Amino acid sequence: MNAIELNHITVVYQSKKTGERTALNNFSLAANNQLIALLGPNGSGKSTLLNVLAQTIAPTTGTLVAPTSRTGLSIVFQTPALDELLTVRENLKVSGALHNLTRDEIKTRTDSIAQELHITDRLDDQVRHLSGGLARRADLARALIAHPTVLLLDEPTTGLDIDARRIFWQTLHRTRKQLAMTVLIATHITDEAEHADRVVMIRDGQSIKDESPTDLKASLGRRIIRINTANDADTTAASAWLTEQAIEHITCDHLIIGRDADPALAANCPVESAAITIAPPTLEDAYTYYAQASFSAETLGANS
Amino acid sequence: MIQLFGTRATNALIKRELIRQTRQPSRIIASIATPLLIWLFLVGGFSNSIGAVAESNANIGPYTIPGMASLTVMFASIFASISLIQDRHDGVLRAALVSPAPRWSIAISKIAAGSILALLQALIVLLTLPFLGISVTPMGILGAIAALACISVALIGLGLALAWIVDSTQGFHGVMNAILMPMWLVSGAIFPVENAAGWLKAIALINPLTWTHSAMRSSLGMDTGLDPTLAWIISIAFALFGIALATFAIARSSQRKPN
Repeated sequence: MNAIELNHITVVYQSKKTGERTALNNFSLAANNQLIALLGPNGSGKSTLLNVLAQTIAPTTGTLVAPTSRTGLSIVFQTPALDELLTVRENLKVSGALHNLTRDEIKTRTDSIAQELHITDRLDDQVRHLSGGLARRADLARALIAHPTVLLLDEPTTGLDIDARRIFWQTLHRTRKQLAMTVLIATHITDEAEHADRVVMIRDGQSIKDESPTDLKASLGRRIIRINTANDADTTAASAWLTEQAIEHITCDHLIIGRDADPALAANCPVESAAITIAPPTLEDAYTYYAQASFSAETLGANS
Repeated sequence: MIQLFGTRATNALIKRELIRQTRQPSRIIASIATPLLIWLFLVGGFSNSIGAVAESNANIGPYTIPGMASLTVMFASIFASISLIQDRHDGVLRAALVSPAPRWSIAISKIAAGSILALLQALIVLLTLPFLGISVTPMGILGAIAALACISVALIGLGLALAWIVDSTQGFHGVMNAILMPMWLVSGAIFPVENAAGWLKAIALINPLTWTHSAMRSSLGMDTGLDPTLAWIISIAFALFGIALATFAIARSSQRKPN
């Protein structure tokens, strides 16, 4: 039994002003006890997917097989969902009660989660007096107090500094193992997706890739060639040159990414103004490559 | 078990609302101060100008106190229901909506906490009656509080249903004031309904606040010219309507179609 299972979900938003907009298009996903990064640009359908899983939006077509109820489900939103006039402890009490926890359960879990997230000394502070990073951690505590089996995170580290982000991820990894949670994190930060067991790339509401970060990077070969050009003419020239070299590539504005590149290739580029890097592929390269490839298959065909 | 679950969530949400309100004392002060200032100006400055009351030799001071108590409840109810919009903007509402707690617990907690605070404020207003020479019994005060409870429950319920569909506090205030202030004025809160013009009296009789005021005044031993039993039936029905409307509005949209 999967903790998350969606079959061919399509969500179409209706608007009198702008007409129909398809936010999710025949999207399927299944996962159990994994950390999945949902990687996509703004407006790609990530938040809509989380809303479908949280059962706050009914899909237009398709089936949500799991989760079937909100029991065992918690969400961390893009901004903290905390009452600023309440203390952190009071917020956790409310969240615990909303998940039907007893007073003793709430107290025990509050203490352990606060310790885990290094917020014990701030439990009795009103949320409005917390920094952004602390409020984020308190919000994660709010979600974790339910000991969820499915945790949905919608760009949860936005605005966090490096230390706060590190603590966030450490806690998430530890808690996920302890509770055997299935975690789905929507993000557009590729560094964060590196933490995941699987990366699902989403664009225009469609899943365009679903692989581990390692496999995604490896799919571009041992090294990629990254060419930054100054203008459209140079981009066209560099692209034509890569085609001559039989290098599969994509162009994204003035950036060209080619897969499986030979290190000696850089010296032969005829476009003098181009800044060329040949390096092992990063997840950002993979994301740019596949997102662009799916965006315009015709362009890819013409360029490669 | 399901009932216990809902009760636990409801209790926590009520407690949250009460804590929130006590940490915003300016709201409580505003809810009481405005009706008291209106009352002071009315009684101190305009009492001789109000024909019907002056001619009947009725003392406008005590007469208008129940109306001021209901105005206090009305302001407090507006604040209570507007907090739903605040919760939506803060994300607190989203967290509640995606939790397994039943949707009705959100509506009931808002209504209960808002009513508790509204009634405490109204009680302060009602307790001025003995100082104005009106003898009131504890049962009389309890009856008046019960009638005020009907008003607060109904108005918070209506407010929540409206707050559910209105996104801005300004819009909410505009609509609520446009509906509630005329309802309050045409309810015998300040001017006796029995002396009103025929057309206004007809409007007053279909105004539920007229009947809740009547129930309150009859509890306090004041004659209203309306049947007290019918007044109580209409008052309770008004409160139940408010609860039903709020719970229906919130529960109905627990899983919305994309739009």
